Amino acid sequence: MNRDDPLLRVRNLKVGYEVPGDLIVPVEDVSFDLNPHEVVGLIGDAGSGKSTTALALTGLARQPGRIMGGSVTFGGRDLLTLPDDEIRAIRGRDIGIIVQNPRAALNPMLRVGRQIGFAYRAHNDATAADARAHAIDMLRLVGINDPERRVEAYAHELSGGMAQRALIAMALSSRPRLLIADEPTSGLDVTIQAQFLDEMWQTVQKTGSAMLLVTQELGVIANFCDRVLVLHEGRIVEDAPVRRFFSAPQHPYSRQVLRFYTDRASGYPEQVSGGGGFLRTDALTKHFPLRNSDKVVQAVDKVTISVARGEAVGLVGESGSGKTTVGRCLMRLEHPTSGAVILDGQDITALNAAEMRKMRSRMQIVFQDPFDSVNQRWTVADILDEPLRVHEGGDRAARRERAVAALRQVDLDPSLMIARPRDLGASTLQRINIARALICNPDFVVLDEPTSVLAPRARNSLIALLARLQKELGISYLFVSHDLTTVRYLCQRVAVMYLGQIVEEGSVEQVFTAPQHPYSRALLSAHLMPDPTRRRVDNPVPAALEGEIPSPIDVPKGCYLASRCPHVTDTCRVNPQILTDLGKGRAVRCERVVNGEIAPTPESDDA
Amino acid sequence: MPDHVPDLPLGDTKYIPPVRKADWLMRIGVAIVTLVIFLAIFGPHIGPYDPTRTTIRIAVPPPGLTEIPGLVAGWFGGTLDHPPHWMGTDANGYDIFSRVIAAPRTDLKIALLANILSLSVGVFFGLIAGYWRNWATELLIRVSDVLQSFPVFILAMVLVALAGRSATNIIIALAFVYTPIYLRLTRAEVMGQTARGFVEAARAMGNSELSIALRHVLPNSLTPALIQSSVTIGFAILLTAGLSFVGAGVRPPTPEWGLMISTGANQIVLGEWWPSVFPGLAISLTVFGFAVLGNALERRYEQG
Repeated sequence: MNRDDPLLRVRNLKVGYEVPGDLIVPVEDVSFDLNPHEVVGLIGDAGSGKSTTALALTGLARQPGRIMGGSVTFGGRDLLTLPDDEIRAIRGRDIGIIVQNPRAALNPMLRVGRQIGFAYRAHNDATAADARAHAIDMLRLVGINDPERRVEAYAHELSGGMAQRALIAMALSSRPRLLIADEPTSGLDVTIQAQFLDEMWQTVQKTGSAMLLVTQELGVIANFCDRVLVLHEGRIVEDAPVRRFFSAPQHPYSRQVLRFYTDRASGYPEQVSGGGGFLRTDALTKHFPLRNSDKVVQAVDKVTISVARGEAVGLVGESGSGKTTVGRCLMRLEHPTSGAVILDGQDITALNAAEMRKMRSRMQIVFQDPFDSVNQRWTVADILDEPLRVHEGGDRAARRERAVAALRQVDLDPSLMIARPRDLGASTLQRINIARALICNPDFVVLDEPTSVLAPRARNSLIALLARLQKELGISYLFVSHDLTTVRYLCQRVAVMYLGQIVEEGSVEQVFTAPQHPYSRALLSAHLMPDPTRRRVDNPVPAALEGEIPSPIDVPKGCYLASRCPHVTDTCRVNPQILTDLGKGRAVRCERVVNGEIAPTPESDDA
Repeated sequence: MPDHVPDLPLGDTKYIPPVRKADWLMRIGVAIVTLVIFLAIFGPHIGPYDPTRTTIRIAVPPPGLTEIPGLVAGWFGGTLDHPPHWMGTDANGYDIFSRVIAAPRTDLKIALLANILSLSVGVFFGLIAGYWRNWATELLIRVSDVLQSFPVFILAMVLVALAGRSATNIIIALAFVYTPIYLRLTRAEVMGQTARGFVEAARAMGNSELSIALRHVLPNSLTPALIQSSVTIGFAILLTAGLSFVGAGVRPPTPEWGLMISTGANQIVLGEWWPSVFPGLAISLTVFGFAVLGNALERRYEQG
């Protein structure tokens, strides 16, 4: 084998699924090379065949799939023609695989250490004791604290992030020359995702493996990959170094994926002037009582937030921060424990059921899951007709016309009127949800993570649609999201939530360029900006928050962040922090920041 | 902010349909159920004898296997003096074959009506109990639990004994027995559906609770109850026959499987097995057919 030969050479790979009477070929013709020590990102829409490709590299295909042609040359041999026992020896020893759902990939019956040991002993001549010692070393390598204790843990005793790390430890246990990671961070919170990818990247560097990273996230690509492969309609349509991919994408599909990123570089959305507090909450609090206990889950703690007419306010935070509950309280889908929600001068928490129903034509919500939020038995026409029937009644034909107009408004074809949800894709369906929310011309819409289930390309076009609709119709949005990139694009102002409280708010520009609260700083530094010129791996990794988010049942006495904050003092631990107005619409819940004891962010992460 | 750029078509995720194995059990179920329905409509008219009239030939055994070809030939040739008794006759001289194929009208009618009654009542209360959860609906569930905890057969027997032997009373008794099943089933499904996003969305849209319950939750919660119907009808037939067997069912000479088994039971000691065995087989086959159909439908539903 020549020194310059690629580690892995894939040529004309074709994988098909045979179903009765039909053949579906998600991977038509895939060719690419992978060099030693290289980290390569594989990006594409959901269903583009990314996972199928990744799996086929080791000669595997999910039932009823079949590898139908091509070659995968690894170490001078074509893996696709090797007999089963030889390819099994390579799988796991020379090629490690990390799959999407870490918990499902670990055997719940076996201790983690034994599983790693099995993987090691399958390819190495080692005693059980050696394997155990090796497992401990591997767990330490992937950054698990106290590995001597963790080797004895079962899968269910590990958090999602830890299970994922255990899986990496297993995949790396034989020091493979190639690691294939299939969306290893899907479902993890941003801060954990960043930590985890940092660790994986460092481990791969240490072991000298090459890595193929399958992902949908541009941020992951930009920050961790050297080269990008774009998979579209079963073919690699672009193969470029990461910087060139972001600066000069060649294929129309790539340009569409990146459009949002390139558009956005131009600047921040303009501030909306005047009309402050068209919708506002006053010390909104929501406690969920626990069964058989006098304790409560403190989901939302005295949140005061205001949205001006025509303004989009982002509400960001990790899972469990209470941001969704705020949105649900605004819609009165949850009744707040205390506090008020005031729309156009009227406290809606004081309305009776009939008055509230009437009010609902002025305020709407778009939910996270587009499939779950429509009645699967109805046609699109029925779905769009419902709000009109409830609020306006009147002539059926006229309502139908309005529904058609609403479809056009979200760039969908009127022929969809007769379609049923199960025949539609997530992004189409989410557009229908948006059309339904807007059909009665509301003043205010809560967007509850409307793009989180969508692939990047669909996400971009949906956010662009929302921005356009807001501009055209002058609606106010409360945009609940954990995706900072979309918030930055769509919103004028942003509020950061942690454990039910707002810890910082301000204009998007203020918060994104110079976050002040230690939590906002951590959140923003963990956010993977799709910018390959400021790669995370090229810069010192900023200090992450320690530990885990405290339970909302027993909230800390003083500052909620005290147990994790790098700037903590004894006073912070006992003094509850108050949200202090810094002027210019800026507010921070941290007395050390307010007193100027913590230096402003030295350099913005994202200027 | 960029101008709105129209998108390339977004191309839906490629759909790979689940592989569905040919379900031969389901086919058997469909065949049996179809036959039973056919007999319920035409059974009393197509048998060789009037099922409610006795003949002069008493306790004739069914023809042996070797005699059958001759009988068939004779029947078609018109050389026989009377149509053959394919399953023999009983101690009263009834033609068993004619009665076995006439019985589905009685049995299926009772089972079907009992099922419709219990389905409607059960689904109605199940919807209420699942959608509006408070102490009153909780009480409803407890009452239905108590009802369900009685032995099915004894409960039906007592009800018929108290109210009298008539088809209507049997139907009511059976409905009593089966309503709690539908109530439970529907309630569980309703509770699941109520937590779904489209219910929340309907509320956010300003629908009243009643409208949400009827327009959204009910249609999405019916499937399990409808699948259960197949199983219930099968077992209701068994129960109807059982009631007749112990003398709490329909009155003779109505052709009915349980009654036939009961009448024939005395003769078994004399070695005359046929008056009981043939209707017994008919019941087993029918219950089996409805049960496998129900199971197959349920599997399909779970696969989605």
